[in-house]
Amino acid sequence: MGSSRSRMDDIPHAQQLIHETDFSAAHLLRLHQRFKLLDKYQTGELRPRDFGAIPALALNPIGDRIIGAFFSPGQETLDFPSFVRILAHFRPTDPNRSRDGTQQELANSRTRKLKFAFQLYDQDGDGKISRAELLQVLRAMLETQVVEEQLQSIAERAIQEADLDKDDAISFDEFRRSLEKVNIDHKMSIRFLK
Amino acid sequence: MAVSPQFVRGSSSAFLTCLLLFTTFVSVSVVAGENNGTWGDTSRVSQVAEKKGEEVADSSVTHDQSNSSEHKKVFPVLSFNYDHVRTPFEISLWILLALLMKLGFHIIPRVSNVVPESCLLIVVGLLVGGIIKAIGEEAPVLDSKLFFLYLLPPIILDAGYFLPIRHFMENMGTILVFAVVGTLWNAFFVGGMMYAVCQIEGAQLGNVDLLSCLLFGSIISAVDPVAVLAVFEEIHINELLHILVFGESLLNDAVTVVLYHLFEEFSHAGTVTIVDALLGVVCFLVVSLGGILVGFFYGILGAFTSRFTSHTRVIEPLFVFLYSYMAYLSAEVFHLSGIMSLIACGVMMRPYVEANISHKSYTTIKYFLKMWSSVSETLIFIFLGVSTVAGPHAWNWTFVVFTVVICLVSRVLGVIGLTYVINKFRIVKLTKKDQFIVAYGGLRGAIAFSLGFLLTNSQMKNMFLTAIITVIFFTVFVQGMTIRPLVELLAVKKKKESKPSINEEIHTQFLDHLLTGIEDICGHYGHHHWKDKLNRFNKTYVKRLLIAGDRSTEPQLISFYNKLEMKQAMMLVESGSAAKLPTVVSSVSVQNIQPKDSSRRRAIPSISKSREQEIRKILRANLQKTRQRLRSYSRHDLMMDPFEDNLSEVRFRKQRVEMERRMSHYLTVPANRQEMTPVRKVCFEPEHKVFTYITDGESPKGQTSRPHPSSPDAVSLLHEDSQRDNQRSVLRAKGDTELRAKTPDNQEQQEQQEEEQVKLSRCLSDPGPNKDEEGDGSFHS
Repeated sequence: MGSSRSRMDDIPHAQQLIHETDFSAAHLLRLHQRFKLLDKYQTGELRPRDFGAIPALALNPIGDRIIGAFFSPGQETLDFPSFVRILAHFRPTDPNRSRDGTQQELANSRTRKLKFAFQLYDQDGDGKISRAELLQVLRAMLETQVVEEQLQSIAERAIQEADLDKDDAISFDEFRRSLEKVNIDHKMSIRFLK
Repeated sequence: MAVSPQFVRGSSSAFLTCLLLFTTFVSVSVVAGENNGTWGDTSRVSQVAEKKGEEVADSSVTHDQSNSSEHKKVFPVLSFNYDHVRTPFEISLWILLALLMKLGFHIIPRVSNVVPESCLLIVVGLLVGGIIKAIGEEAPVLDSKLFFLYLLPPIILDAGYFLPIRHFMENMGTILVFAVVGTLWNAFFVGGMMYAVCQIEGAQLGNVDLLSCLLFGSIISAVDPVAVLAVFEEIHINELLHILVFGESLLNDAVTVVLYHLFEEFSHAGTVTIVDALLGVVCFLVVSLGGILVGFFYGILGAFTSRFTSHTRVIEPLFVFLYSYMAYLSAEVFHLSGIMSLIACGVMMRPYVEANISHKSYTTIKYFLKMWSSVSETLIFIFLGVSTVAGPHAWNWTFVVFTVVICLVSRVLGVIGLTYVINKFRIVKLTKKDQFIVAYGGLRGAIAFSLGFLLTNSQMKNMFLTAIITVIFFTVFVQGMTIRPLVELLAVKKKKESKPSINEEIHTQFLDHLLTGIEDICGHYGHHHWKDKLNRFNKTYVKRLLIAGDRSTEPQLISFYNKLEMKQAMMLVESGSAAKLPTVVSSVSVQNIQPKDSSRRRAIPSISKSREQEIRKILRANLQKTRQRLRSYSRHDLMMDPFEDNLSEVRFRKQRVEMERRMSHYLTVPANRQEMTPVRKVCFEPEHKVFTYITDGESPKGQTSRPHPSSPDAVSLLHEDSQRDNQRSVLRAKGDTELRAKTPDNQEQQEQQEEEQVKLSRCLSDPGPNKDEEGDGSFHS
C-alpha cells in the first residue's frame, strides 16, 4: 500500500477528482498510469499527437472526432483531471444512486453520456446535427465504395425519422428520443480496470 | 363425452368443438383399430366404415377375406387396403389431430389467454391417452429416438437460426455461468438431497443408491428449451430475461449430456474415482467445444454453398435445413452436444446465407422453420400427455413430493447464489425481479422425460419416470400458468415492439466505434475491442469468401438500410400509406441501377439518361413477360398465381388514388433541391408514367417488381396483349410529357397528376432478366 500511496500523491487534486467523478482510488491510479504511458515525453499534459500514437485509434473511423472531443475548443493540451472527467462519462451507471436531484449532474448519467455522443456528431457546436454533419459521419463510418446517392438517401431518411420539429436537423432532444429503445447505460459504459 | 356448457356459447365455437371431438374420436378409434394389427377385427373396421358411410368397404373386406379360397373372383370395384398406407396414415392423422387441437384453442380466446398452449396440449394428450387406454389399446409412447432425432431438431434450429445474436453475445458470460455452473449445482444438489431423502426410514427407498440419485438429479436438473420457448413466447418479457433463460436452456445441453453419460456409465461400473471425475471435466469440454466446432463447420459449408445458388433458387432453403440437420446428426454420432452444434450452425450460417439467397427463399426458410417447430412442439406436448397415461408408473409419495420441492429450492438457491457472483462482473446488474423471473422460468420438459425413458428398465426407472413427469407437470402447469400474472404483478419490463429505425442503427454503430475508441485510449481490451476486431476480420476475409457478388463488400449499414427500405416499400404496397415515399423511391432506383450506371449518370445531365434507362428496363421487363408466358409449364418455376392478386387490387385502388395525390405533393418538394436529388426525381417519373398495367399477376411473376404504390386498372388476362401494345405506345407518347414534367413546374405536375389519377400505373423498374436473380437477392422481408 505504501507504493500506491506515494503514487496517489502524484495525482493532483486526487480527492476532489474522486468525489467529482465517482471513480475509486484504484481506478484513478490505473488511469493515471495510462495517462503517463500516453504522455511519452512526460510533459504532464497530452496533445492530440499523443492520442494519434495509439494504433487502434488510427483505424477507428471516428478516431479523430474522439480525440477532438477530449480537447476543449481552442485548447491544445489536456491535463489529467480533464482526461479523467471525460472518461468519467463512460462509467457504468449505478441504479442505486439516490435520486435526490444530483443524478443529472453525475458525469455518467444517461443524459450526460448522450450529450457527449451528441457533441461528437455536432462538430460546429450549434446544438443541432445538420444534414451535412450527419453526412460527414456516415461518410466516415461507411468508408469505402458507397454511392453518394445512397448516403444522401440514408441521411435523408434518418432526418425524416428523427426530426419532429421539422427544422431539417436533429436536436439533442430528438437524438435522445431516437435512442430511447437502446440501453445506453449498457451501450456506453466500459468496465474500468482496477 | 359431454360437451361442457361453456363451449356451447356461440354456435361456431360449439360446432368446432364438436368437430374436434368427433375427429378425435374417429381418429383415435381408427388408430386403436389399426393398432390391433390384424385383419380379423373387422368389427372395428366396419365401425369406421359405417361412420364414413362406406358400406361397400365392409362387404369387400369380407370379400377379400374369402379371396384366398377362390380362384375366380369378381373384379373388386372398391377394395380396402389399409395396411399399405398404415404408417404414414397414422402419422398424418396424429399430426392433423394435434394441429386441429391447436387451432381449436386459439378460436376460444378466453382459454388461451389464461392457460398457456403447452398446458392445453398436455391436457389433450392426457385425454387422448385416456381414451386409448379406455378402449384397451396400447397407447403410443414418446419414443426417445423419435423425440431426439425428429421432434427436437426443428425447434432448436428455429431457435438457433433466429437467435438474437447481439443480446446473446452481450450476456454470454452470464448465460454460460447459469448454464454450466447452475446445472451442475442443480444436479448435485438434487441428487445429493434425494439420496438423503432415500435414507429416510419408512420411505421404502432403501435400494436407491447414490449414483442412481445423481443420475436422476442430472436428468431433472436441466432447464428445457422447448418448455421455456413455449411459455416465454407468450409472455413477451424483455429481451434480456428472455435471452438469459433461453440461452441457459440451450447451453446446458452439453452439461446434461456429459453428466447423464457419466453417471450412467458409473452406475454400471459401481465406483467413482478422481480420474473419472477429471475425465468428466475433459469430456465436458470436448462435448461442448466439439459440438460448436461441428456446427461452425457445417455452417460455413452451408454459407459457402449458398454463394452459388443464384441459378437454383428453388432449393436454397433445403440447403439451410439439411446442413443444419447434418450438423445435429454428426454431433450426435460422436455423443457431442447436438443442440449446441445446431445452434452454432444456424448462427454461423445466417448472416452469409441471408446475404446470398433470394427474398422468397428467406421467407420460405422462416416459415418452414416456424411451421416445423410449431408442429414439433405441439406433438411433443401431446405425446407427453399420452405417455403419462400410458407408461408404467410407480408412485412413491415421498420421492415425488421431495423431488418437486427440492428442485424448486435448488433452482432458487442456485439463481440467487450465482447472481450474487455474476453481478460483480456485470455492467448492468440483475435486479431481484430479474432473479425471480430467471428462477421461476426454469421449466423442465420433454428432454428430461426422454432422457429418463432411455434408462435401463428397472423398478427405479418407473419411479424416476413418475417423478420426472410430476416435476414436468408441475413446472409447466403451475409455473407456466402463473408466470404471466406474476410478470404483470411485478411489472417486469416487457419487450418493446419497435420498428427498426435507421437512426438507431446509425447511432448504435457510431457508439460502437466510440466505445472501441475509448477502450483503446484506456488501453483496455474489452468487449468492444474484440467485437471490433471480429468485425474487421469478418469484413476482410470471411465475407469475401462466403457472399456472392458485390454484396460481399456491402457495409452493414447499407444492407440494413436496404432491408429497411424494401420492407417499407412492400408495406407501402400492401397498406397504401405514402408517408415515406420519396426515400423509398430514390433508394429503390439506386438499387436497380448498377454503380457504373450511376457514375455515368452523374457525368451526363442526369435526368433524361436515367429516365431512359427506366423506360428501357420497363420495356425489357414487358418483353420478358412475353417470353415467360410462352415458356411451357414447369413444376420448378416459381410462378405467381395470376388470379391471386385480383381480389386485393380492388381494395387497393381507392388507396392508390389517395396515394397518388400525396405523391404529387412530394413531387413538388424535390423541385427545390435539384442537384441533391436528381435520383429522386427520376424515380418519380416512372411512377407517373401512364402505361396501364397488364395484369395483376404479371408483375411478381418470378421477378421482384419493385413494389411501388400503384395499382392496375381492372384489366383481365384476356386483354393483356392489347394492353401491352397500348403500353408501349403510351410510353413513347408520354416521353415528351415526361421531359416537360421534369422541369420543376408545379402546374404541369398538377396536370400530370390529374391524368394519373385517371389511369393508375405501376412502376416496373425491374433490373431486367440478367440481374433478375440478383435483384431478388436484395430483397428481405
